[in-house]
Amino acid sequence: MEMSSGTKIAGVVSMVIVTSVLALAIAAGGLGYVIPPPHLRSLADWYLKTALNPYLKYFTVNSPEAVTSIVWDYRGLDTLFETTVFFLAIIGSIALMRGIHIDVKELKECCPTGMSPIVKTVTRVTVGMILAVSASIALHGHLTPGGGFQGGATAAVAPLLVMVVFSLYFVSKHGLSEEKMLTLRTAGLLGIAFTAFAALIIGYAFSTHAYVFQNQPKAEAPVGLPAYMFNALTSGTLIFFNLFEFFAVAAGFTIVFLLLSIPEVIVKKHSGVSEE
Amino acid sequence: MRNVIATPETLTYGVLALLGLISLVGTYLAIVEKDLLKAVLFSAIQSTAYAFIFYLLMAPDIVLVYVPVAVGLYPAIVLFLIKKTERFEGDGNE
Repeated sequence: MEMSSGTKIAGVVSMVIVTSVLALAIAAGGLGYVIPPPHLRSLADWYLKTALNPYLKYFTVNSPEAVTSIVWDYRGLDTLFETTVFFLAIIGSIALMRGIHIDVKELKECCPTGMSPIVKTVTRVTVGMILAVSASIALHGHLTPGGGFQGGATAAVAPLLVMVVFSLYFVSKHGLSEEKMLTLRTAGLLGIAFTAFAALIIGYAFSTHAYVFQNQPKAEAPVGLPAYMFNALTSGTLIFFNLFEFFAVAAGFTIVFLLLSIPEVIVKKHSGVSEE
Repeated sequence: MRNVIATPETLTYGVLALLGLISLVGTYLAIVEKDLLKAVLFSAIQSTAYAFIFYLLMAPDIVLVYVPVAVGLYPAIVLFLIKKTERFEGDGNE
């Protein structure tokens, strides 16, 4: 049943009134405390004081970006398992579309054209800009807001735009395939795994203690990845994690979009479902 | 007595409250809308309001991931799915 516009307006008005009253009650101290809290919590204070602090050699991350420091150093294991969850989601979508492959010849017969020349010209310009911005977000993730996931998600918009505007046939003809993206994604994940063990390997080489997921030297474990490379601040493991996560996320999203953009006619043909 | 209403943060909090209400309306309309294409557009209103909220709450890292996901990737996935299924949400007794 279609909702009448009167009912919709009544719904909107009542929800706005209820939310405003609730918000005012909470802002006036209805829960017994003030939002936002007037002081920094001690944990936040610790992060801010240690993220970039050359005088606390065994506690600092050597990165001016506290958020990336938290994501890949202070609670790096959490991010590692988040990456694993994302990996499983991609594996799930590949498993759902099993047996359905992208065939350039079939695509040429069924749907070879994209949108109008105006849209194509605009996309040619914007795709380059999107890729440049995403590389900047990922590679400066240890210096300014951003990081591997942010950069990867931004980069994934570029192949998506080309797929929609120039058609799946166009991108397949120019060599973008599910297998290549899967390889890139696996390479990214292997890079992340290797970076997680890098300090441990260095520790074995110098016969000292080291931790898994270690970044800068710690007390009793005096090895770590260099904070500066070629006179530029790279914050040890952070730049490597960001770089590999960038490729893993961008390639992972691209696989999903490649699979989703296969025309329904071809999906039905490959999976053996007859047209009704 | 110190004036607690007209502090420099008041404008920020006011804009935050307004954006919150806009996102609320967008979400409500996205849920009740039967035309799924329009629902995606209402959802985009909510996303845009949230992007500004995250920015005003001084979380630029979240803005940078929220903008491509909420404005680019998520509508694209939903539009692909609408194209593969059907545009109008039915009652199941058509």
